[in-house]
Amino acid sequence: MAIVGLGLVTIASATQVTSVPGEPNLGFVWKQLLGIALGTGTFLFFLFWRYEELTKYTRLVYVVNLGMLLAVLLVGHAAMGAQRWIQIGSFLFQPSEFAKLAVIIGLAAFLTEREGRLERFRDLLPVFAYVGLPTLLILAQPDLGTALVFVAITVGMLYIAGARPLVLGAVTLGGLGAVIAWIWAHLNYGVWIPLKDYQITRLTIFLDPWADFQGAGYHMIQSQIAIGAGGLWGRGLFSGSQNQLHFLPEQHTDFIFSVLAEEFGFVGVVVLLTLFFIVVYRGIRIAAQAKDQFGTLLAAGIVSMLTFHVLTNVGMAIGIMPVTGLPLPLFSYGVNSMIVTLAALGLLCNVWLRRQVIVF
Amino acid sequence: MGKKKTLKRINVFLGAIVLIFVVLIVRVSYLQLIETEHYRTLARENTLRLITIPAPRGEIFDRHGTKLVGNRPLYTVSLVNLGQTRDELEPVVEKLSVILDRTPEELWEAIAKQSPRRYEPIRLARDVPLEIVSRIEEQQLDDLLRSVVIDLEPMREYPFGSTLAHVLGYVREIQPEQLERHREDGYRMGDAFGQAGLENTQERMLRGIKGARQVEVDAYARPVRSLGIKDPVPGNDLILTIDLKVQLAAEEALAWAVAEAQKMGNSDSQAASAVVIDVRTGEILALASYPAYDPSVFAGDLSPAQAHALMNAPDQPFLNRAIQSAYPPGSTFKMVVGAAALETGKIDQQFTVFCPGYFYHERRYNCWNPAGHGTVDLVKGLQVSCNTYFWTVGLKTGPEIMARFAREFGLGERTGIELPGEVAGVVPTAEYKRRVVQAELDRRFGPQFEAVEERYRTKVAMATGEARDQLQKEKQQELARIQAQYDRYAWDLVWRDYDTLNMAIGQGIHSYTPLQLANYVAAIANGGKLYRPYLVQRIVAPDGTIVKEFGPELRHRVPVSEEHLALIREGMFRVNQPGGTAYGSFYDFPLPTAGKTGTAEVLHKNNHALFVGFAPYEEAEIAVAVVVEHGGQGSRIAAPVARRIMDAYFGFLTEDEEEADQTSESRGVAPARIEPRPRVSEPEGPRESPTGSTEPETGAGSPGNEYLLSPPAGEPVTSAEEAVTGTHNPGET
Repeated sequence: MAIVGLGLVTIASATQVTSVPGEPNLGFVWKQLLGIALGTGTFLFFLFWRYEELTKYTRLVYVVNLGMLLAVLLVGHAAMGAQRWIQIGSFLFQPSEFAKLAVIIGLAAFLTEREGRLERFRDLLPVFAYVGLPTLLILAQPDLGTALVFVAITVGMLYIAGARPLVLGAVTLGGLGAVIAWIWAHLNYGVWIPLKDYQITRLTIFLDPWADFQGAGYHMIQSQIAIGAGGLWGRGLFSGSQNQLHFLPEQHTDFIFSVLAEEFGFVGVVVLLTLFFIVVYRGIRIAAQAKDQFGTLLAAGIVSMLTFHVLTNVGMAIGIMPVTGLPLPLFSYGVNSMIVTLAALGLLCNVWLRRQVIVF
Repeated sequence: MGKKKTLKRINVFLGAIVLIFVVLIVRVSYLQLIETEHYRTLARENTLRLITIPAPRGEIFDRHGTKLVGNRPLYTVSLVNLGQTRDELEPVVEKLSVILDRTPEELWEAIAKQSPRRYEPIRLARDVPLEIVSRIEEQQLDDLLRSVVIDLEPMREYPFGSTLAHVLGYVREIQPEQLERHREDGYRMGDAFGQAGLENTQERMLRGIKGARQVEVDAYARPVRSLGIKDPVPGNDLILTIDLKVQLAAEEALAWAVAEAQKMGNSDSQAASAVVIDVRTGEILALASYPAYDPSVFAGDLSPAQAHALMNAPDQPFLNRAIQSAYPPGSTFKMVVGAAALETGKIDQQFTVFCPGYFYHERRYNCWNPAGHGTVDLVKGLQVSCNTYFWTVGLKTGPEIMARFAREFGLGERTGIELPGEVAGVVPTAEYKRRVVQAELDRRFGPQFEAVEERYRTKVAMATGEARDQLQKEKQQELARIQAQYDRYAWDLVWRDYDTLNMAIGQGIHSYTPLQLANYVAAIANGGKLYRPYLVQRIVAPDGTIVKEFGPELRHRVPVSEEHLALIREGMFRVNQPGGTAYGSFYDFPLPTAGKTGTAEVLHKNNHALFVGFAPYEEAEIAVAVVVEHGGQGSRIAAPVARRIMDAYFGFLTEDEEEADQTSESRGVAPARIEPRPRVSEPEGPRESPTGSTEPETGAGSPGNEYLLSPPAGEPVTSAEEAVTGTHNPGET
């Protein structure tokens, strides 16, 4: 089931990319197809490996992951004010994408070890430290979106692993509240904050994009115009003026959802979200059916990641979330993201395939 | 933790995810299902632009169809503001600076200066040559320059440079106050608007009707496809009465005259003007003012500071002296005096005066020729410009009648020419004199009275007793002293006989424009018909149909009989004949001509040189008026200009000269043939000493050369401004 949905989404994704009149028109599509091919490779790779054996390598994966993130900061390739990539030939390698998967695997193992010992707040501290280190490295790039993904993954997995909802909720809401309060204090009282002005604007502009409709609010407004203009049936493939005439910025990556919404309308949106929901639902079923805690946690982490991506990306496009620049899994243009997502789904299917304790 | 508990948690987890998806769907349905019309509209507004297409402005031609003002395309290179950062712009600016041949700093400065809203163009360069434009267009295929846009706007072109600048005027972006006034006429910021001359007064005819094109644009505001077009309607063309050849001759001659005047030591001479009118219709064949400006400077970018500097240049090139400056007419006024006296019966045609070289009325006034002119009648009086004759006649006629006839000839009132800013000038009257003198007295003595009051106020306040009385007395004495001075000058508030004498020879508070002088002479030449002088003979629509046609417009008939006019014409004819003051300039002219020289005295400066005339003497075709500011004597400086103009009109230029005429654009360089003619006759105008000099025959006996500055015993004379100024008793030419 998951694979079927996956295939459909992938095809939709590919056709969407075609409609992006990027200059080497089909270049993006080819690259994306390459991403899909590589992703399918990793998908299969993660599918046939016995996921239980991953626990043996968690330490190594964790260290390699930290090494790569450090490398990005040292020799990385900068674009749009952030340093996120390492250039390997013509390919831009984005460690933070892979870090997500690495953290999911590592944390799953980490939590499995501590099963049943997550009741108290101080039991959670080692977990925070474990995730916090790569998160800080990513924040330093800076890549706020991905760092938040880590938070979402951690919260989701901790919950499934058995942390007390009250403690978890308090920590999450407290953290979120503290950040909001901090930003609010900065804006109103000039309290120091380790963020640049443009980052703050990006985080807050969604509340009232028209306040700066030529500047910071422009992305959000154009995106909402695109989505709204789509209507029920959409304006037809290749016929969305917002997309085709470049009013939509970043239309093949961050705002690809808006393209879909404009050209395929509400119907397209429902189809896409349904597909995503099916994937996520399957993920949760897998988590429930997994034969061991490790598998359950793996599945939960992957589901958390996917859901959070969908929520922030779509939420940003429709103007209920800040602009964070997270890709829409399997849909946005981006080879790294495609590979990682497919790998994650491979892992998910892996857990599903090996759900019976006695198999083969 | 048991499996059950985990399952329960997984279900909660699922619930949270379902909630998230529901929220997303709800929000999307709101946008796409409920608000879709609103967003559709916004999307359409994003892509649709109404681009106005400026209408080509009407062109202007001379009477023979030579194009005087045309249009040419002007290309502007702009950068669309996409909110790029400096780093992103760096390569673009780098590349553009090479293509445009500017330094990157200049371009950065332009960008920084404009910083408009997003998606609006930042103008980098204006008036870019076509070859550079095509180079940019070629390279636009490459991604780097895709935010560069090239706009085309029609721009004025002046094939003859500054020629006729004052008549044509210039075009500039509409100024805020003009926009305010003409908003209902559909003007928008950035539209062209005629700022001076015919461009200004014929704005409505010239502007045409803007077109518009509805286009779909992309986010870089580049048109993607055209959705509809409404073609602009070009403005109407103007066909002028101007004869370019005559105009060019006049302008060249004026430049020569100013240079020549300076060479002769009249260092104040900087400006001059001339008007040529067809006496049969009132058509203006030439209207020249020197110095002129180049109207094309307004085509390029002109900063407010530059414009200000231009407008306020010390030699006032924007002043159209032919209609905006008024001068005392000097002896060119004498025809009015003759006509007034004859027509009102103060003298008859046989009336003569004996000129012993001076005139006596309450005191002695010297004629310009100390040797005297002997027995003088009207014809001879005009021919030799005998002051004694006109003093006598002027006194007999009186100021009111002279003033009335001056107005009959159109002097002292606007002619109604189709140009902005025409001044009326002044015909001297007792009332006017009183006002001028009163203003001068107030200016001069007001502060003196106040100063005394001020000085004693504190002193008196501080002193006591006897000292105080003493001070009061001193103060009264000082005030009385000033009052006495004031009273002596106040004598001049009233019109006096010497004012009449001044008036009769065209000095004093007269002031007339060169255009008025030309039109006045035209009326003498054509038998008393005062036409409205005009510049535009036809307004033609772009399709060739005539929108409007202008013909002679008779304002009124001057009430002077043909018999009397003929006598005056004869006098003017004699001026250009042996023994006349302008013979030196016309002795070899192939046609009989008529003229009158004039030298208007100017306080503290060189005199104005004037000449008016018409040709041919019989069946006159053109009338000419020339004024060279501070040029000295009319016969010497102004008459040659008129001669040169007549040469051009009648086609008496030699082959070489015509060639020189066409090739040489140089101004201020006199064609050789304009050099002063050999003096073959006696007396010839220039012989007299220039006024302003200390020679007794000019200034001696005049009731007060310096007016209010050092009052000669009881007889101060009026004067305030230079243009109005004039002592009497000119050294006449």
